[in-house]
Amino acid sequence: MYLLIAQIAQDALQQDRVRLQHDYGYLMGGVIAAWVVLAVYVMMMIGRQKKLKREIDGLKAMVEEKQGR
Amino acid sequence: MRDRIVYVLGILAAAILVWNGYAIWQLPEETQQGVVFKIIFFHVPMWAGAGVTVSLALIASILFLITKNFAFDALAVATTEVGVAFLSAGLVTGSIWGRQIWGIWWTWDARLTSALLCWLLYAGYLMLRHAVEEPTQRAIFAAVFNIFAFLDVPIVFFSIKWWRTQHPQPVFWGQGSFPPDWTRHFMWNMLAMVALGVVLTFVRFRQEETQREIDAVRRTAHAF
Repeated sequence: MYLLIAQIAQDALQQDRVRLQHDYGYLMGGVIAAWVVLAVYVMMMIGRQKKLKREIDGLKAMVEEKQGR
Repeated sequence: MRDRIVYVLGILAAAILVWNGYAIWQLPEETQQGVVFKIIFFHVPMWAGAGVTVSLALIASILFLITKNFAFDALAVATTEVGVAFLSAGLVTGSIWGRQIWGIWWTWDARLTSALLCWLLYAGYLMLRHAVEEPTQRAIFAAVFNIFAFLDVPIVFFSIKWWRTQHPQPVFWGQGSFPPDWTRHFMWNMLAMVALGVVLTFVRFRQEETQREIDAVRRTAHAF
């Protein structure tokens, strides 16, 4: 009986080990998630850069308008 | 010239990450944990990047309080923001590793809890900056809060030594070890991630300086 339980436990451990060795899903998920986080941050920076450019253009237009008066 | 150096550094960091990513993919599986162990090549360098940036934020905040030079305030916000991005990526990669190895996405052990608290504190710092309108007051409040937030950083770092945690002991700062070629790839990723942090900080710093100049010009223009 005990031998049977020990054999089943060992088989389960072996199956688990095989699953861990070859399961690329979580590794891919981890790597992709990390890069997505950084990519989102870079996109936010690009958005902020565009907003700054718009503000500078607005300021230039305002200064030109005041000089024209 | 300075811009060019920074952009070259960015391209170098990206090239190292791509080349090293391919090399890491080719490495054999770890005996106990299998392929998911390779997350360590990204998880730890991201935390290292976060550590470097928030330490710089602390120094910049102290220097701002001493000198009242707004360039230090801009540096503090730039480094903190990049640090929060790294912290987020570190938390996410750690959680995905935990799901595979522990069978759970999250556990309230000392390392994970202090790390989440660290993220919340620095995210709070960024929110605080949006909440205060007056620039000098905002910079002073933010600098003081940044120094306070840094108190959690040593707790995150030493938590695995001070308490028994579910989070594993460090590979390089405990009893563990890496094969030499694994160490080389790990160090390349550390270097690339810190370089990436420098580039992102530089770009964000420039944006903050530009925003301050725009605000100053706008105030002057409205005064006339």
